[in-house]
This record gives sequence, structure tokens and C-alpha cells, in this order.
Amino acid sequence: MANKSGSIYGLTILSPVKDDPHAEISPSLAVRMYLQTLPVDGRGPFGRVSSTHMARLVVLDDVVYFGMPSCEEHLKSKYLIFESNFDGELEPYLKQLAAEASDEVHNIWQHCIGYPGVQNVDAFIAYMKRCQVETTFYFADVNNKTVQQTLQALQTQSAVASFIEKNQGKPSEELQPAFIEFMSRLNKAPRPKPGSTKGKELTDELL
Amino acid sequence: MSKLDITDIQGFALRGYNFPFARFLFLKISDKQKGRECIGRLVKYITTGERWDQGKPKTTVNIAFTYKGLVALGLPEPSLLSFPVEFVQGMKARGAILSDTGKNSPHHWDAVWEHEVHAWLGVFAQSQPDLEYQCSELLTLLQESGGATKIDSQDAGALQINGQITTKEHFGYTDGFGNPEFMGVEKDSQPGQGKLTADGKWTPLATGELLLEYADEAGELPVAPLPHLLASNGTFMVYRKLHQNVATFRKYLKEKGALYPGGTEKLASKFIGRWRDGTPVELSPSEPSPAIVGDKSRNVNFTFGNDLDGARCPVGAHVRRTNPRDAFGFNGKLINRRRISRRGMPYGPYTPEDQPGTDDEEHGMIFMALNASLFRQFEFVQQQWIEYGNDARQGNDKDILIGNHGGSGKVMIQGTTDPNNPPFLCGALPNFVELRGGDYFFVPSITALRMIAANSVDPR
Repeated sequence: MANKSGSIYGLTILSPVKDDPHAEISPSLAVRMYLQTLPVDGRGPFGRVSSTHMARLVVLDDVVYFGMPSCEEHLKSKYLIFESNFDGELEPYLKQLAAEASDEVHNIWQHCIGYPGVQNVDAFIAYMKRCQVETTFYFADVNNKTVQQTLQALQTQSAVASFIEKNQGKPSEELQPAFIEFMSRLNKAPRPKPGSTKGKELTDELL
Repeated sequence: MSKLDITDIQGFALRGYNFPFARFLFLKISDKQKGRECIGRLVKYITTGERWDQGKPKTTVNIAFTYKGLVALGLPEPSLLSFPVEFVQGMKARGAILSDTGKNSPHHWDAVWEHEVHAWLGVFAQSQPDLEYQCSELLTLLQESGGATKIDSQDAGALQINGQITTKEHFGYTDGFGNPEFMGVEKDSQPGQGKLTADGKWTPLATGELLLEYADEAGELPVAPLPHLLASNGTFMVYRKLHQNVATFRKYLKEKGALYPGGTEKLASKFIGRWRDGTPVELSPSEPSPAIVGDKSRNVNFTFGNDLDGARCPVGAHVRRTNPRDAFGFNGKLINRRRISRRGMPYGPYTPEDQPGTDDEEHGMIFMALNASLFRQFEFVQQQWIEYGNDARQGNDKDILIGNHGGSGKVMIQGTTDPNNPPFLCGALPNFVELRGGDYFFVPSITALRMIAANSVDPR
């Protein structure tokens, strides 16, 4: 199934943006303006929807064809493109999105045709699935590991590198107890939070 | 493609001169009209790609302009507006992309870069008196013309060790191997330069990776200014003055070398992928080999495809990062549009190996590189391969030698179970090299120089 690469789901959603000749602000501009206000780090909505590896929201106005012979084509409407790489299956993910980021989801998708709101979760899921485009050529660069596994691996890598740097070349009788003690501290260390950029600081504290 | 018109191309774009003395003059165009007249008088001094069948000349002269220099010379606006954006912005403005931050930020650059530098006049010479003579002749010409003044100059020269002219740089490595080969550019062909073919042979890169208005590796013409004649046979140059912290490097290498079971020299070779005499570690991982260094059929002729784990040449070694050859698979196709022609030259006196050296003394490397696209070639290599490690699967790790580490960098030296070749981690990396200034320059053809001089650049 092309939407998945191992355990990672590659979601592509195209939601048609409303065309409202009476609107004070064009709905596509309203989406863009709102998107610009969202934090892009762990404080953003996808920091809460913690199975998200990466997500992107784009407003696509139209397609433009360059080249010869010229062939003028247009989209039927403007589209909101939502792309997300996440762990697991689609329905639980959309459910989590509706629950953990309901305000943001509403503020974004309210400008889209057919959006039923997030209160009725089943209707929301059905709507999103109707807008889904199969991801036919999907590259997941996260080695089939979950967000949590990836963050933990980064933390471990950084910590182990620091350990090696401090201890390489020591005789085995010193190295082994140092390593056992290091592993015990590493295992008890707090795990980095999704969206966190604090891996290095956590490691420094730990060592 | 047709044969290149080598006498219309600045010689510096086509070959490294291998002269032991150099001076780079930084000029300000003081008057539009007089500036153009000055260029007109300078043209006859400019060294082209003409063949030196009768032997090398005593000196060479080349010229290049910043965007502001072209503005000062009064190029028509439609021409100016057609230059690539990174050239228009200049190197200082591209600092965030290039990681020219912290110790590499303009705050630490030489005073000359506080001025608006308009032109670079590069003079190479066989001897110091020849250099002085040529420079004084040029300065007299500038003065007489009233069109350009010297803001400052930078001397450079081959390192002299015990009175001998060498190809060493300040950290003790032999430099100057492995510039790419381009179609139509005559030079001694060496296997290992150019690009890899599907059957593992080497062939020259497309001319358009070096010169404007020729097809590049994608079969496209590089982004170039208008009109065609202004761009044709021209190229872009990066100039960066890289200060070398000799004391910091020697101290670090000594400390880590004492811990590294393979010893100091082997560790030094792992840093860049060549032993200090120039032997590629990929070909001779255990010891330097003068036989390989001296053999042009071998000294740049290697690939990394059988060493993907970096057991011989570490994945993050300087020569592997900056020219990954086949390391990313696809017969090296992923790197053919990222190649640059280097024209580096050391500056400052050599510190004998048995001394600790200093960081403060004026010594380093004038890094100059030529490419058709500053954005696609030099900036990509600097941003992605020097200051970042993802393509080489080294995470955020930077190039050990020239990365902007800020004291907290780390680099993994891969190894094997051989006790003399163990994996080794180099942490707490300081900046061995610091940027002291530079800019992006346009290197016009002789035709273009004459058009600029005659004020006949017509983009309509």
C-alpha cells in the first residue's frame, strides 16, 4: 500500500478552498494569514499530535504550465494541501488531530468546501478521507521508527558520543564501570518531548 | 560541443597557474567613465587561456568584479537585473546560508570588507621582483586613469620550507590535488577528475559547469546575465580568506593523536582523507606512499564505493565531503552538478613542524573557486557538505577541518576491529579555520571586458 512506508504513513490531503465573492478577505488569504500565526516548533499543533514526524500546510492557488506548445490548464478551485508523515494508521491519527488540535483544525479547514467541523469526529474523518489523495511515490526518511524512538535515538546518540569522547582509550577495568554507570543514568534520563529541540541540553545535563 | 575559444577566456578560469607568488588587489571604481577607460587600458594585461608553448610568462594578471563594481562601471540596468540573485547580494548577505556566523561573521573580517570592494585584480608571478614590478605597473596605470583606486591588497604565496617552494599548506598537508576536468578545456588528463561513467571510467564534466553559455550537466544553460556576449566565456568566482589557527590545530592533533592507537599522522590523514604528503588514504590506508603521490594515473584516481562505512577514508573526511565521488551511489551522478574549480593559495609564513605555532599570526589560505553557478555549486557544497552532514549520513556534524564548530563540534572517525584502525571520536572541536572576508566576483571574458570598457553592453 503506497500510503505507507513500513510503519510510517504518508498522508496527502487536498481540500478545496471556498470561493466567496462576498467575503471581506479571500478565504485562501484568510487561511494563509492564519497559518502564518502558527508556531512551527513543539508549541504548534503538531507538537501535541505527537505521532507526527513532519507536517506541512500549503495553499495552492492554481497550476501554471510552462513550455511549448503552451497548454493552459486550471484547477477547479484553490486547494489547501495538507501533508503529514506520522506513525500508525490514518483513522486514529485523524481522531487525535481532531481531539488535540481542534481549534487549529477548525480555524484552518473552516475555509474549505464541505468541511463538517470537528465536533462530529466521524464526519470529520469521513471528510478528510474524501479529500485524501493516494501518496503514490512515498519516501520516508525516518527509518521506520516512531517519533518517540527517533527522538530517543538522537538523545542516545548524542549521549553516547559524549561518553566515548570522555572515555575512549581508558583501560577496560575503568571503562566498564563507567559505562554501566552511564547506562543507568541514560535509562533514567527524561525523554525528549515531541517537537523538542532540547536533545543536546538534556544530554549535557545527563552527563 | 565546439572547441573553446581559449584566448577569449581569462586564463585563471581555465587553469591554476602554479606560480609561487601572488597579490590580490581590491579596487574601488571611482568614476564610471574613467573606470571604463581604466578597464580598457587593463585588458591588454589580462592573461587569457592562450597556450604557453614557449614557457610560462613571468607574471599573470586577471580581473573580476563584484555586483557593486558592475554598478559602479555603469552597466545598463537590464543587464544588472539579469545577474543571479546570490551574486547580486554578495557573500556577506549570504552568511546565514554559508554558516558565516560566530567567529566567521563579518564582524571578524579584515577591514577591507568594510569598504565597497568593486574589483579584484589577481597577479601571480614567478618571483617576488616580478610580482612587485607587475603590481607597480598596474598601480601606475590605475592612478593615471583616475578610474579606480586600490583599497587594499592581499599577498599570498607558496609556503617555503627550508628555502624550498612547496605545495604544502599551514597544517602540513600537501594541497592542490583533484580539480575537475571540463569538456573543451585542455589539460593533462588524469583519471579521477571529471565525472564517473557507468562503466567506472572518468570523463570530463560538461563545460557549462564552469563557463557560462555552455550546456551544463543537465543539458541546460546556467543562469547568466544578458546579453549573451556579456556572459559567454565568463564565470563566477568565490574569494574567501581562510585564517588558519595553526596552534589550535597542532595542539588538538597532538592531544587526540596521543589517544588514537594509529598515531598522530594516521589521525591527521583521517581528518582529510590524504596523508600529509598527499597519498589518498583510500588507496593506502596504513601508510603514506610517495609512489602513489607521484603517479598522476593514481593520485586522484579512487572511489569510495567499496568503502561505504568509511573504514579506510572516513565518511566525514574533508576530501570525501567536498568531492564524494561515488559515495552516494548512482555512479556519482548526484555530485556532478556540485563541482567547483579551486585556485587556493596560502598566505603568511610557514611555522616549522616542531614548533607549537600561533593562532594570531597572519597565516591561512586564500580560497578561490570558480563555477558557473555560485548557488548550485559553491553554496551547496559549503552549506550541505561542509557545514552539515546529512548527505554523508553524519547528522549535524561538520567538516572537521573547515567547519564552523564553535568549540562544540564532533566528528566520528570510522574504523575496523584492527587495533591500529579503531573507530575514534573527535569531540569539543574548535574552529581550526576562520573566515576573514571575501565576496562573489564575475569573471568576464576578454570580449565582455572590452564591451564594458567601450560602454557597449546592450541587453536589448
